[in-house]
Amino acid sequence: MADIPFPDKSHPDQESFLAGFKSAFTNVRQEKRGNRLGYLFITPAILLFLVFQGYPIIRGLLMAFSDYRWLVPETQGLFNFNGLDNYRTLLQDAAFMRSFGITLKYTALFLPLLLILSLGTAILISKVSNPTLAGIYRVVAYIPVVLPVSVSMMMWRQIYNQEYGFLNYLLEAVFNVQNPPMWLTDPNWSMAAVLIPDLWLGFGYFTLLFLIGLYNIDYTLYEAAAIDGANAYKQLLHITLPLLKPIITLVLITTGGLASAVVPVLTLFLVGGGPRQSMLTLGAYGYQTAFSVGDMRMGYAASMALVTGLFSMVFTAIVFKLLHTERS
Amino acid sequence: MVTRNKLLRELPINFALIIMVIVCLFPLYWSLVSSLKGRPELFEPTPSLIVKQPTLENYNVVMSLTGGSQIPLYLWNSLKVGLGAVIVQFITASMAGYAFARMKFRGRDLIFYAMVLVMFIPRVGGLMATYELMDFLNLRNSHIGLMLLFPSSISVSLLIMRQAFLAVPRELEEAAMLDGASTWQIFTRIAIPMAQSALVVISILMFLATWGDFLTTYTLLDDQNLFTVSIAITQITGWSTRYSSEVATTYGSDNAAFILAIIPVILVYILSQKWFVRGFQEGIIKL
Repeated sequence: MADIPFPDKSHPDQESFLAGFKSAFTNVRQEKRGNRLGYLFITPAILLFLVFQGYPIIRGLLMAFSDYRWLVPETQGLFNFNGLDNYRTLLQDAAFMRSFGITLKYTALFLPLLLILSLGTAILISKVSNPTLAGIYRVVAYIPVVLPVSVSMMMWRQIYNQEYGFLNYLLEAVFNVQNPPMWLTDPNWSMAAVLIPDLWLGFGYFTLLFLIGLYNIDYTLYEAAAIDGANAYKQLLHITLPLLKPIITLVLITTGGLASAVVPVLTLFLVGGGPRQSMLTLGAYGYQTAFSVGDMRMGYAASMALVTGLFSMVFTAIVFKLLHTERS
Repeated sequence: MVTRNKLLRELPINFALIIMVIVCLFPLYWSLVSSLKGRPELFEPTPSLIVKQPTLENYNVVMSLTGGSQIPLYLWNSLKVGLGAVIVQFITASMAGYAFARMKFRGRDLIFYAMVLVMFIPRVGGLMATYELMDFLNLRNSHIGLMLLFPSSISVSLLIMRQAFLAVPRELEEAAMLDGASTWQIFTRIAIPMAQSALVVISILMFLATWGDFLTTYTLLDDQNLFTVSIAITQITGWSTRYSSEVATTYGSDNAAFILAIIPVILVYILSQKWFVRGFQEGIIKL
């Protein structure tokens, strides 16, 4: 199996992303007019990008302030706004509040576990001295990431299956659990039923990110610390974690603040949202509202997404602030 | 002696990681084993981790199903959409990446960074707006629509391609220019071959993303005959109606369908390792 060597950071022809970004804004005027051909070369990409990425961003934002219903054509004008009506409705929507609670609870479980699992795996892999073995671990940890999520969820259904699944057989026969949970039909267990496969399919990606960070840490730091008498725990606390801060921040931002596990919730259970809607997260509720119930109230669903997005941004800002003030 | 000590010291680490490997692979293994079991073995009261008499019976059942669940058709649809998206991205990302790396025109860097940064804008109602847009363009129930939609999120592939073209030695291109080659010739004869590992990497990423997508594909396609395998798999098994005396047989054939749906992904992933390694070595993939 392949061993992934990590890049050396000194490529002559490449500026850092941030420096390039800054100069891009300051140097527009100075750039040469020159080559018209350049515009021709970027045209296909720009066209696709503007039509399929740019436009939906703006259209979605407009939708969030309208009562757009897919099955009611009169509501679909581009500027058919209804002010803040959607948000007043949201405040009185018990199902929305409930989804919010479920999402917060799920996020509070999911994010810390994801961080611990992926960071733990990455640290363990970085300690393996045999490169072939380390390569195998990396490749295997990443396999759940590349599998189609829906197929993985179907496989997990098979494992959860009451009669033929392996999980409850294991719990009963090996761990002697008397009444193993009805994973997919008991509302009390539905959050765990989503959490386990969601962690399973997500942790490999962040393990890889952490590994790249770990491989970039100067090894002499640990040697110096060992000479000074720092044990493994202290080394983790004072060297590894502070140096991995940028990656931890990246992980928290990539996961998007609030974790909704939309695809797992939609595919794992027999009924959308889980038994008695016990796993109807914000994402799942929004999806149902827009695409599977009633008039397909896309405007209302868009305003839900806007509120969720604002909360995620606040969350991200707090994370940023916390991780940066701690350093100084 | 030194290496033996090292191995001994790393024993607990390897033990923990082997548990990780088992957990990661178990769902796949369980599906594979179940798909190879015949009827009598599936009916056994204690599920077994090994197959005593492996049989391809379940695969035959799945491959010959007709009506609402035609696995060969869904596999073909996935392949079609995946390859289509890869081709579209090949054209757009390679041309734009080259322009952003090598050509001079006003606003070049501004446009590039704007396109990359859009990746970080949260999509409010993006799926709803996309649904409306695709319906308006008559691309909603169509593979062409998906082939255009997936490559349009171009940020990552643009970053990679620009990086790859920047790494091509300028002298090569200048020499060709002195020999009278046109920009297009330099692009197709020199730049593209030199950036091949980057092109392979972005193609693999696009193929895997398209093959595995659930939400967008599921939302945009209504016609069962157009389903890709990743969304069809959640429909064909018809869980609710089959929890009857027949359940054991569908348990086997369902698992056979899952295995068929992931074989291409696993193959692409394993075979692509070498290209990712090259990508890392050439410094075109970085964070």
